[in-house]
Amino acid sequence: MNFGAIKAIYRNEMARFFRTLAQSFISPVISTSLYFVVFGAAIGSRIDEVEGVSYGAFIVPGLIMLSVITQAISNASFGIYFPKFIGTIYELLSAPVNFFEIVIGYVGAAATKALFIGVVILGTASLFVDLTIMHPFAMLAFLVLTCISFALLGFIIGIWAGNFEQLQLVPLLIITPLIFLGGSFYSISMLPPVWQTITLFNPVVYLISGFRWAFFGMADVPIGLSLLAIAVFTGLCLAVVWWIFKTGWRIRT
Amino acid sequence: MAMVDIRDARKTYDGGFEALRGVDLQIQEGEILALLGPNGAGKTTLISAICGITQPTAGQIEVGGHDVVRDYREARKLIGLVPQEINLEPFEKVASTVAFSRGLFGLPKNDALIEQILRKLSLWEKRNDRVMALSGGMKRRVLIAKALSHEPRVLFLDEPTAGVDVELRRDMWQIVEELRQDGVTIILTTHYIEEAEAIADRVGVINKGQILLVEDKDSLMTRMGKKELTVELDAPISDIPQSLSDFDLTLGSDGKTLVYAYDTAAERTGIARLMAALSEAGLVVRDVSTAQNSLEDIFVGLVSDEQEAAQ
Repeated sequence: MNFGAIKAIYRNEMARFFRTLAQSFISPVISTSLYFVVFGAAIGSRIDEVEGVSYGAFIVPGLIMLSVITQAISNASFGIYFPKFIGTIYELLSAPVNFFEIVIGYVGAAATKALFIGVVILGTASLFVDLTIMHPFAMLAFLVLTCISFALLGFIIGIWAGNFEQLQLVPLLIITPLIFLGGSFYSISMLPPVWQTITLFNPVVYLISGFRWAFFGMADVPIGLSLLAIAVFTGLCLAVVWWIFKTGWRIRT
Repeated sequence: MAMVDIRDARKTYDGGFEALRGVDLQIQEGEILALLGPNGAGKTTLISAICGITQPTAGQIEVGGHDVVRDYREARKLIGLVPQEINLEPFEKVASTVAFSRGLFGLPKNDALIEQILRKLSLWEKRNDRVMALSGGMKRRVLIAKALSHEPRVLFLDEPTAGVDVELRRDMWQIVEELRQDGVTIILTTHYIEEAEAIADRVGVINKGQILLVEDKDSLMTRMGKKELTVELDAPISDIPQSLSDFDLTLGSDGKTLVYAYDTAAERTGIARLMAALSEAGLVVRDVSTAQNSLEDIFVGLVSDEQEAAQ
């Protein structure tokens, strides 16, 4: 293992994050506050409680997931797409590093940034609502796993993307709708029965449900199933990354 | 053992384009090889295949005895690459982007070395500037600094002086000379014949994915030392007169031109003697002209011969 290279890539990526620290910090704070104003005040006044939890608190896990997933994907996809776009990828390809070291560097940095933003949102949310986290370690584990697995997905998207439009395509057309329809702002028990069944095909449901369980001890689907879902998802991403490594797809001509 | 050993390297791109068609090339340690060739000849593909940017379709490439595909880590540790395009992250600072390159090779931080490299390349004053604020020539210096940051034993310079000013070109040659003294093997591709003449030990010519010639620069220079005197006669002749047989003459197909090849480095060129002999033989000279063979002529000649052969 070339640990020096992993460290170099990780630090280089984090340096980009710190260059825009104010931006990285302020935007999640503002967007979270806006969600609380819109969902908390406008809708929350009509929905008192969801299964014994105040609506304001109920949406916190979903809000965190929404930002963390989006950030993990966009950071990782941009991180690897940018060197491809400006040509600096030549340096990675001609250095004594293997693809997994490159993945660890980029995905690790993207996951760290997403985790940071998740924590900032959690902090902001606690200013608006009373929050007690029932299973803090499970919450943290879920958060970290989500950061890593979606950063992996983002990395794959960044390798695949041939232009900036494609880079935005998957997050915009697939990921964001899945998160919004994945019970971020509602419990799936509030849906008509047919939609409850359809929703179960949305993988994000399992993540948000599991994450919410860590907060409040309540879940739309059993916690074991949530864990299985994230494990399968991470495994799939790793398999694709391994395949890219084997074939040099879209990296090495 | 050759430092860079290329045997029957082939590269066919997905579209079916054959960029390398069986390249054989051995480069000795400490040698400076200039690779000349027209655009699209395969120069960059060859370098990319050695450095790991592109995967050769067939053949074997070894650097320092390490196969560049199977034993890529050991091979790449020895290699520094200065690419043709200015590929740099615009928002990074000069010193940190150079330090990043060293880190990628798994080497510990070495501020003294980075300072030494930056000073040598006149970049030290600019070390805290962002790359995007630099001029084109300065950016190219940054690329060179990045390539030198991990102390390579083999340095590839892919058209390092394309579009740079005289000062940088002179600095470059100076750096190449210093690296040569340290025993670094250097392969540079170039369009500029005079660059090859100035710094290379050997010159290789590549066209359409094949090496046409690899020759010691000095022996090439000797060939280049040949000059031709063309004598235009007033009236055509059918044969070269017997009295002129001492001279290395060729008669043009029109019978009106005689070409005399001579060595400028020789003590006597024989021109005066030839002129006297011509007038003794009763031939009236209408005009004379001379032409010198240059590396460029040899190069153009090789490339066009090949094109004719292909047709």
